[in-house]
Amino acid sequence: MTRRRIHFAAVLLVAAVIAGLLSQLVLGGSDKVEIGNGSVSALARAAHTTDALPQSVLSYPFAARNFASANGNGSRLLQVHGTLRLYGVPGKEGMLCLIEVDSAADTAGGACADRSVLLTGSIYMADRQEDGSRLVVGLVGDGHTYAEANGRRVRVENNAFVLGGVQGSSVTIGSTTATQSIDLGG
Amino acid sequence: MQLRSRRRRSIAATVVAALALMLVPVAGETSYIYWWQRNMPSNGLGYDRITAHNHNYNELYFGPNAGWSSEVWVVTPAGYRHFDKRCTGICFNAHPPYYYTYAYCSNRDGGTHFVYDCMDQW
Repeated sequence: MTRRRIHFAAVLLVAAVIAGLLSQLVLGGSDKVEIGNGSVSALARAAHTTDALPQSVLSYPFAARNFASANGNGSRLLQVHGTLRLYGVPGKEGMLCLIEVDSAADTAGGACADRSVLLTGSIYMADRQEDGSRLVVGLVGDGHTYAEANGRRVRVENNAFVLGGVQGSSVTIGSTTATQSIDLGG
Repeated sequence: MQLRSRRRRSIAATVVAALALMLVPVAGETSYIYWWQRNMPSNGLGYDRITAHNHNYNELYFGPNAGWSSEVWVVTPAGYRHFDKRCTGICFNAHPPYYYTYAYCSNRDGGTHFVYDCMDQW
């Protein structure tokens, strides 16, 4: 009787292991494609005076709560598009932050997320424009080379991209060998 | 006797009203007012539809382990949406106080995590 129980338990165990292996091999452990290892080279380059965040951004409650240091130490200016400036900032507890400042519109925004997000996507912000489209800005990890939506592609420079006029709810980012999809929501 | 008492009360009320009128503008100049909502459930919507204001700052806070979809925006009493920002994780939007609006924020991905703070400022 005891031997039959042991056999039954062993069969159950083997079946569970096989089912687990099959689900990983056939379905995949995660359906998300990974690019790079989450590192951001732009944050490691030597600092310039232009890398400092505007005082107005540092004065928001967001800065004290999320930046690794309240004065934004380690920030880097990633891109300048007209009056729009994008900064990368080290965040607390392994987070990375993307900050956008538009001096003409007198607006600023920021997003902080865990660095692991960069493996399968981007730390992004998608601002709704008056015409209903979205201006999407993103921080991506090393290895990403482009962002694309509605058939329009822009290059990733300094680990960041700026993609205007996005209609719909999806942006594609990718490297030379792989692509990922960012869901902007409905 | 009754008339004198009523007069005293009316003088006292006038003094209190005058003091309030003098002090309220001073308080408004020196302090921020925050609205916030905590522990919103998964896919929850946080909003302040009671007090429309010319907001200049909205923030959504998940805590330091953030990576989920979020959104902050404002809506005028007439229903027009402005300063709508969708983000990854913790998110803020600072803007000029152009519009008399209500503040909203949302955790949009339906996961089992909480939004710790949904906050606005004017």
